[in-house]
Amino acid sequence: MKKFLFRGILFIVLFFIVEKGAYYFLNRAPKLEYDKRLEHVINGKVNKDLIIFGASKGASDIIAGQIEKETEFSCYNLSYPGSNIIFHSFILKSLLRFNEKPKKIILVIDNPHEFVDVPSLNFRLDRLYPLSKYDYINNALIVRNEKNILSKLFCLARLNRSNLKLKEIEVPLQNPIDAFGSMPFICRDEEQDFTYKTHIPNYDVKREIEGKIKAFKGIQRLCESNNIQLLFVFPPHYQAFNYKFKNRFEKLAINDNKVMIYDTLNPIYINKDCFYDASHLTEKGARIFTSEISKFINEN
Amino acid sequence: MLFNSIDFAIFLPIAFILYWFVTNKNLKLQNFIIVIASYIFYGWWDYRFLTLIIFSSLTDYCIGITLLKEEKQSKRKRLLWISILVNLSFLGFFKYYNFFIDNFAQAFSFFGHEISSNTLNIILPVGISFYTFQTLSYTIDVYKRKLEPTKDIISFLAFVSFFPQLVAGPIERATNLLPQFYKKRQFHYSKAVDGCRQILWGLFKKIVIADNCAEYANLIFNNSSDYSGSTLVMGAIFFAFQIYGDFSGYSDIAIGTSRLFGFNLKQNFAFPYFSRDIAEFWRRWHISLSTWFRDYLYIPLGGSRGSTWTKVRNIFIIFLVSGFWHGANWTFIVWGLLNAIYFLPLLLTNKNRKNLDTVAQMSIISGLKDSINMLMTFILITFAWIFFRAENIEHAFSYIENVFTKSLFTLPQVRPTYLLISILVFILIEWFGRSNKYAIEQLFLKKPRVLRWVFYIVIIASIFILSGNVQEFIYFQF
Repeated sequence: MKKFLFRGILFIVLFFIVEKGAYYFLNRAPKLEYDKRLEHVINGKVNKDLIIFGASKGASDIIAGQIEKETEFSCYNLSYPGSNIIFHSFILKSLLRFNEKPKKIILVIDNPHEFVDVPSLNFRLDRLYPLSKYDYINNALIVRNEKNILSKLFCLARLNRSNLKLKEIEVPLQNPIDAFGSMPFICRDEEQDFTYKTHIPNYDVKREIEGKIKAFKGIQRLCESNNIQLLFVFPPHYQAFNYKFKNRFEKLAINDNKVMIYDTLNPIYINKDCFYDASHLTEKGARIFTSEISKFINEN
Repeated sequence: MLFNSIDFAIFLPIAFILYWFVTNKNLKLQNFIIVIASYIFYGWWDYRFLTLIIFSSLTDYCIGITLLKEEKQSKRKRLLWISILVNLSFLGFFKYYNFFIDNFAQAFSFFGHEISSNTLNIILPVGISFYTFQTLSYTIDVYKRKLEPTKDIISFLAFVSFFPQLVAGPIERATNLLPQFYKKRQFHYSKAVDGCRQILWGLFKKIVIADNCAEYANLIFNNSSDYSGSTLVMGAIFFAFQIYGDFSGYSDIAIGTSRLFGFNLKQNFAFPYFSRDIAEFWRRWHISLSTWFRDYLYIPLGGSRGSTWTKVRNIFIIFLVSGFWHGANWTFIVWGLLNAIYFLPLLLTNKNRKNLDTVAQMSIISGLKDSINMLMTFILITFAWIFFRAENIEHAFSYIENVFTKSLFTLPQVRPTYLLISILVFILIEWFGRSNKYAIEQLFLKKPRVLRWVFYIVIIASIFILSGNVQEFIYFQF
């Protein structure tokens, strides 16, 4: 028994030492990333007056640099394509924890998918994995059952197969991230053929996810308690405006928060040249829409 | 409690220390610790169902004692039937009640009588199929006078609830496991190390192979109408490795854990995917269940003796019951039926005991004939797994229909490189270790310790790195 225990403990100690070699991969993983915005957040480098949160529409349709020029507020875009409101809430909490609190926040609303379960909008765990060397991120992964408690002790347990990449992630050619965190589409997707839709489907409250509603209310409460002005922005689609969702949205929003809807009468939003696809603007369209937002900010 | 959980990683050393350091001088106390540990292990999932295990254990314990005293055959038979009815009624209620109610309602509606199907929201107690069969084997063996009934209630409770194999087997026979509780266990260094090695290999099978395959098998099976024929083939192959890694991984952890406590459990899997025909596959897959059915159902029915009709009937009965044992769904019944159809030609041509040895026992590579036979057997088994995995019969047929399209000859849409490499490495290790009880039993054993430890560290590292979302063991639901 003594021999068994001695060798067992010796093996565990040796393993504990050897596995620290995995730190090389943990340390290297963030350097290979192209999108370093979350790392900037947890390193306290995002100290701006106005922060934009949202999914792909927030990333591509709003040019933070332009807002900075057109208003008196410094601005940064923390919108992540394919992310849901629970992820936005996580990014907001991270921002407030490690950075100076902003004066205003823009939350870009995904009409009509904001509160329902859609496969294209998720909690972007892939943005967290490369940063698992940071305890804050690792703890967030543990909370979400993506990592177990052993990852507090073992570097190997923090490692994910995505951390073993050898090459740097390539720059997305169609919408690279600019210095202000925005990702406008440089050109139109010629392969996409889309037509203007006038039909507005009914909005089914039963499809809403409780966690998303909770996250939405949580964002509002967080802004309120930190004395941050929260602005909701509805970006244009290549289709008629879905007011059925907007009616539902208004029931969930606190009255004090301002809602800005794109100018539905502006003919530019039925011009295909301004759209990358049916849901996203090109840089040209984004500049027009951003100037609307700047005007709204200046008025509020 | 899951074997691949932090809870178990804490539970096991505590149980180990109490067993070998605190209660090691008193056999009864040691067995009592096993009973308590087993009940904690089971109760961690749902303590309410402990009453079921205790009731089932006490019933069979009392029937065993009564059978010892009873000489009259008619009364002995009655006692046996009481045990069978009590155990099977629990199983029937928790596992099959809703299935029968639904099917009766459907049958009536077929004849024009609409009746409402009052199904209940029943939770299936984890492991009920396993421990029910284990206690049944005890009563049947006592009835047949193959086994002396035990008077030691603690040993009997420990035998029924022995935590390493309680929830997903191997289904141990009382003749093998129960006597081990009577004798004082000695700690053997080599056995304990061997146990740890088998646990490690089981974890690798479960976490690296099964859980990663599950991710892609679920993706493909749950969206089967969206994928090409070749991708659906990949989905079936992923499921074949998922179920093997999952279940044999569980058995390895169970056997390894038992060895740490000084117990020897029977081998449950013997490299079934290297089988050259279906009969060999069934001698190598879930051995404890196959032999249970063989000894307590197939042989009493007449086995392979008698007329051709009797043989055919017995084969169909045993495979259908085996399918039904897995779950209350027509998919399992069709899966059983399919295996019976595969098996029948071998039985009728007396070729079912052709491949009793290990494939290519004396060489590294198998011959062409054996390789083709292995491939054919794997294809047949994988085809049958489609029914096993599908949500229902319609899903299985639509899945198969979508496989046989022009897109079968295109590149699969889902082909995760890391997983395909992991499976390849896994097959190679299993192939080189196929003569042993588990693949890494002898691997590097005669090499320097440094090399061996490096190998173990690599396995542990791959378990850490390639662990995906924790998935429950598939056989928990059976």
